[in-house]
Amino acid sequence: MQASQINHVLDFMRDAISEVSKWWWRFFDWVAVVEWRRLFLTWFVVLMCFGILNTPEPAVWYIFISFAVKVLAGGKRKAELVARDATLQANVATLERRLMEAKMAALQAQVEPHFLFNTLALIGQLIETNPPEAARVHAHLIDYLRSTLPQMRARDGGTLGKQVELSRAYLAIMQARMKERLGIRFEVPLFLHSAPFPPMMLQTLIENSIKHGLEPKIEGGTVSVRAQVVGATLQVEVCDDGVGIDPHADDGVGLANIRERLQLLYGTQAELLIATPPGGGACATIRLPYKMMMEDA
Amino acid sequence: MNSAAITALIADDEAPMRDLLRARLSSVWPELQIVAEAANGVQAVELGQRHRPDIAFLDIRMPGLSGIEAARQLYTHSHIVFATAYDQYALDAFQQGALDYLLKPVTAERLATTCARLRTRLEAQRDAKLVASPDANRDTDRDTSVPPQDIGQQLARLTALLENKGQAKPQTGYLRWIQAQVGASLRMVSTREVLFFQSDEKYTRVQTATSEFLIRKTLKELLDELDPDEFWRIHRSTLVRVDAIADVSRDVRGRQMLRLKNYAGEALEVSRNHSYLFQQM
Repeated sequence: MQASQINHVLDFMRDAISEVSKWWWRFFDWVAVVEWRRLFLTWFVVLMCFGILNTPEPAVWYIFISFAVKVLAGGKRKAELVARDATLQANVATLERRLMEAKMAALQAQVEPHFLFNTLALIGQLIETNPPEAARVHAHLIDYLRSTLPQMRARDGGTLGKQVELSRAYLAIMQARMKERLGIRFEVPLFLHSAPFPPMMLQTLIENSIKHGLEPKIEGGTVSVRAQVVGATLQVEVCDDGVGIDPHADDGVGLANIRERLQLLYGTQAELLIATPPGGGACATIRLPYKMMMEDA
Repeated sequence: MNSAAITALIADDEAPMRDLLRARLSSVWPELQIVAEAANGVQAVELGQRHRPDIAFLDIRMPGLSGIEAARQLYTHSHIVFATAYDQYALDAFQQGALDYLLKPVTAERLATTCARLRTRLEAQRDAKLVASPDANRDTDRDTSVPPQDIGQQLARLTALLENKGQAKPQTGYLRWIQAQVGASLRMVSTREVLFFQSDEKYTRVQTATSEFLIRKTLKELLDELDPDEFWRIHRSTLVRVDAIADVSRDVRGRQMLRLKNYAGEALEVSRNHSYLFQQM
């Protein structure tokens, strides 16, 4: 009993000391950076207050201590704070560099050779059996490549409408290959087509849906893309009714890249959510601040 | 040798590819009878076992069963020819082994070569059967005939190869997704997003940078299934993501406290038993 009581007292003392030292350093920092003019002003106010109470000693102590701190430590402290600012700026620079790297990775991980070869093989065979269809797939492939090859990418790729257009080209190609095994549904209201949206995120999600959800499923299924505004959030959802997600499968470069870019672009205001609905399949949702982006644009 | 027509099966999940191969075959080898067409691996095995075709043309990437897996069930009574558009690892393996393969889109010349080879092989086989000697189905030309057990071995090797490399996804066997019930649906939280797990009486709390979930899996189960290099146990009730650790400091009571990057919430206590994890080098 005795020992535990002593422990409690000791704990309380430690906490009290840490609290006091915290406040002291806060005061110290403030004195170090405050302008002389303001410091004089506080001296005057403090003198007046304690003068009225007829006990000027604390005021004198305050003036003495703050004067001493200002003279002795002001310069050093100021330098420290400047250094902290510089570190912060360096951190921002690091962030910018990471964003650049993530963008580069997104650019490079574009056209999968497997997809390209299969599509070219398809066009080659359609030229003989169904030339109009060949021309159609060929045109879609050109649209798709224009948006995915870094050298070809247009600068205005950053709207949701543009991203939807590119995804449609990709899906049209996949539909020519998978035929009735692939269903497509888009629910993107027209007014959202002008909303800014980072490039290559929608495509990555759709490719994942097809590659991991529908292609392995014998009877195939449907990919649906839905965009809506919920409060101040733009919510873009890619759902499929495929084979679902294996909890032990790696989440892949694509999703990691989306997550990284969202974090760098929007911090904690954006997120990528993956869910498996009760009916099976998988749903990936990107949530971005909507209003904020409109102001930025 | 024309007692019975030579039969074949085509398996490809993409209808246009089946059409092309059928069209090409009819011009290169008109007598060949296509007895069945399959749109996935399971169907290929089923039809292959029912019709017992002389030749099976199998696409490698198919839903259900891959072409290679299907081949492992069919090679004993059918000659296997693989078709693929782009499968680097498989191509390497084919070039080393003696398995037949076609590159898509299939060109007439290439198909003609393959068909000629198949024809000689099938004829040799029939002659051997006529002689009825069990040893005679071994051809003199090693290039055109391979004993079935060799093919079996090659297929097994190919399967292993594709599982390891072809998918470009090393399956480490560690848990990669945390499944948390949120409303009616199951939220899949990538372990890369998780900052820490903390046991909380009946549940385990999963904390990410933006949200928190409760799951039923115990910390002990998680500890067994997660990658030990990715998550460290720092306390009886806490598993923390190593990458997320910002710094470790001692509080006034001398406890080691861990702060996390991108997380403004509480600091995590490191228990004495685990403090060896955080020592100066």
